[in-house]
Amino acid sequence: MGEQIKTTPEENQSAQSNQMDDLDSRYLTFLIGDAVYGIALTNVLEIINIQSITQVPNIPPHIKGIINLRGKVIPVLDARLKMYKEERPYDDKTCIIVITIHDMHIGLIVDSVSEVITSDRNHLATPPKTGMDDAQFLASIIEQDNKVILNINIEKFFQNDLFGL
Amino acid sequence: MSTIDPGMEALMEAFIYESTTLLEQLDEIMLESEKEKNISEDSINEIFRIMHTIKGSAAMMGFTGISSLAHSVEDMFFLIREDPTRLHAVSEVIFDLVFQASDFFKQEIESIQGDGFEDTVPTELIAKMKEQAAIMKGEAPAVEASSSAEAPTEAPTAAVNNSGHKQIHVIFDDGCQMENLRAFSLLNQIKDYCSLLYSDPENPELNPASSDEIAKNGFTIFCEPAENTTIDDILKVIENSLNIKSYGLLEDEEPAAPAAPPPAEAPKAAAAPAPAKPAPAAAASASSSAAKPSAKQSLLSVNQSKLDHLMDLVGELVTAESMVASNPDLRGLKLDNFTKSFRELRKLTDELQDVVMSIRMVPLNGTFQKMNRIVRDMSKKLGKPVELVTVGGETEVDKTINDAIADPFMHMIRNSMDHAIESPEERRAKGKPEQGTITMSARNVGGEIIVDIIDDGCGLNPAKLLEKARNNGLLTKPESEYTEKEIFHLIMLPGFSTNEAVTEYSGRGVGMDVVRKNVEKVGGTISIDSKKDVGTTFTIKIPLTLAIMDGMEIRVGNSTMTVPITSIKQSFKLYDNSQVLYNSDGSEMMMIRGECYPIIRLHSYFGIDSEVTDLTEGIVLQVESGNNIACIFADELIGEQQVVVKPFPHFLSKYNLKERGLSGCTILGNGSISLILDVRSILNNER
Repeated sequence: MGEQIKTTPEENQSAQSNQMDDLDSRYLTFLIGDAVYGIALTNVLEIINIQSITQVPNIPPHIKGIINLRGKVIPVLDARLKMYKEERPYDDKTCIIVITIHDMHIGLIVDSVSEVITSDRNHLATPPKTGMDDAQFLASIIEQDNKVILNINIEKFFQNDLFGL
Repeated sequence: MSTIDPGMEALMEAFIYESTTLLEQLDEIMLESEKEKNISEDSINEIFRIMHTIKGSAAMMGFTGISSLAHSVEDMFFLIREDPTRLHAVSEVIFDLVFQASDFFKQEIESIQGDGFEDTVPTELIAKMKEQAAIMKGEAPAVEASSSAEAPTEAPTAAVNNSGHKQIHVIFDDGCQMENLRAFSLLNQIKDYCSLLYSDPENPELNPASSDEIAKNGFTIFCEPAENTTIDDILKVIENSLNIKSYGLLEDEEPAAPAAPPPAEAPKAAAAPAPAKPAPAAAASASSSAAKPSAKQSLLSVNQSKLDHLMDLVGELVTAESMVASNPDLRGLKLDNFTKSFRELRKLTDELQDVVMSIRMVPLNGTFQKMNRIVRDMSKKLGKPVELVTVGGETEVDKTINDAIADPFMHMIRNSMDHAIESPEERRAKGKPEQGTITMSARNVGGEIIVDIIDDGCGLNPAKLLEKARNNGLLTKPESEYTEKEIFHLIMLPGFSTNEAVTEYSGRGVGMDVVRKNVEKVGGTISIDSKKDVGTTFTIKIPLTLAIMDGMEIRVGNSTMTVPITSIKQSFKLYDNSQVLYNSDGSEMMMIRGECYPIIRLHSYFGIDSEVTDLTEGIVLQVESGNNIACIFADELIGEQQVVVKPFPHFLSKYNLKERGLSGCTILGNGSISLILDVRSILNNER
């Protein structure tokens, strides 16, 4: 967990103008159980260790509550529960990936963060169309070094949560 | 918004701000003048100045509708300024016209802010103004000749045969854009030095097409220096203006010729070098300030988002400070010097916080002023003479709250005008003065502002209200059990509207329930008192500020929660269960000094696991909101603390946490988050 990724808004902007393609093809990968998932690096603000979460009553169980991120209050979701997987206790590998979407910051609790990979478009495969929930939010699939990485479309992933905002 | 260049956004913001402020001023002056049935000389000048500014800046932004209407009003007041006696011929009509114009401006500005703005020219209104101007002129035709030269709509024909007449040719920088407006502002700058002034092309600000002409041929100013000034003064001003490539004085122009544009001379003038010695800028500015003595205001307008940011930062600072103070590393150490310096720091941050809070405070005067306008318009329309008395307008509230309550106030005043105040005949029959009175009074009580809206109208009729509520199926208990106060409060239920007939002003089905909702949104409450034929009093309690409040920290299970101090009546520990009563459905109640109050257990209300379930082990807080009082039960009292209120992340807004009893959250000294209880919703939900 030595890797700390942090992109400030300014960096994001300059990156967007200069090397949009470069960032676009980079993914942060993380583990949920044995499966490797990836999210586009452009959506990632930073990675923090799991910290104490303030529970908020009357919200769906997959939203664990709110945390204080340097004076900013942000909601955190458990990726496991969001993907209808079994909950497991947090350990020292558990991380919160802070994601930015529609000018909102959201913390996503994952089992562990692994690495940042670069992949050109040629290696991306479109996910098969299935009726399964898990496949609905997949943007693409990368096969690299004998590993299969499932890329998440953040927009679709949070669709239900964002709906009605 | 297609006409608006995105690069102009900052300008646009300034324009909107400036115009809104000016229009408020205008309304104030007009209302004052109407009361006195006369417009003082100062007021005339002021109105003239306001219209002139609006005209100029609207033209700059390309809003032809606004600028041409402002131009008409300006014309009208120009005539009045020349001879105030003209006012008598048209006074009544003038007031109405100016109010209509002011409404048009406001509408336009509002639609500029929203989407789908269309630049409309209010031709009808302008025509009316021209008519009035004509009436005024007709009364005193002798003055027309002298006024014609300055009145911008008139053609420059008269008074040209003057030996002091000068012609200045100005060429602007290539590609500086908006040449017509630059020309207009140039004219503005020099007009104080000139007794006579016109230009070619004429009225450049009204005709964007003249830009090209000016860019190509230059801009010619015909002027005559006023007394005590020379043509050199005027040239100095031009010299100091921006974006001017060159200018030259065309000597001894034939007096008959000036109206014709001299295109042939343009290249020559352009080639002509700028007149020698560049005047020191100080001299020019000194003379211009002398010419127009105006009281300089030491006010500064700041973007609200910057203030919000500052507020946030101060909030964080306060939090960080308590983090230092309660740092575990310091525990058990005796640090005299540290404590001393820390106390100093705390004093400063407290002061800083007070100052930042006070920056955001605005007096209620502005809002009251708007009500004046509504009362005026409605009393004319409805034929009910009504006077609005305002007391305590200097009371200050947070800007956010001020903005949020303007609408509810307006609605309530409209309601009072429409439904409560009787017609003059009816009032006479009842032995009341014909003129109705609505009083708005504001005062600061503790951490709250209390605003009373009192009318001397017909009062609420409890029997009628009950019947209405019954018909609409809004009653929740037997009619005989309703107290008078409860009946009055029925009018604030959704789906209750006392008047069948929908009028222009009120009774659209959205009524007092919307008012109540809006007031409650900012943490306020409304209560009603009424006496038949004596009048109705609405009392609105609103918090001073939303951003920082005193809270009592309590613990429920693993959660820390904050109860606003203002809603706590008392807190106590129960030593035995003898005071606790049980309802047939198992709900708990408690007797306190002969009164019975429900007990709300926070852990079960919020579904939080807690080990403290015995009432005698925890703590009981008696809380109130409006007229509701209840006891809430928590595990433990932690202590009082000043907290910075933060809204929940937008992500959670669809879960309606506020309705469920949580109004926001705050970050405590140790970095953990405490949830702020919304006592009002908890009490409402429990009933």
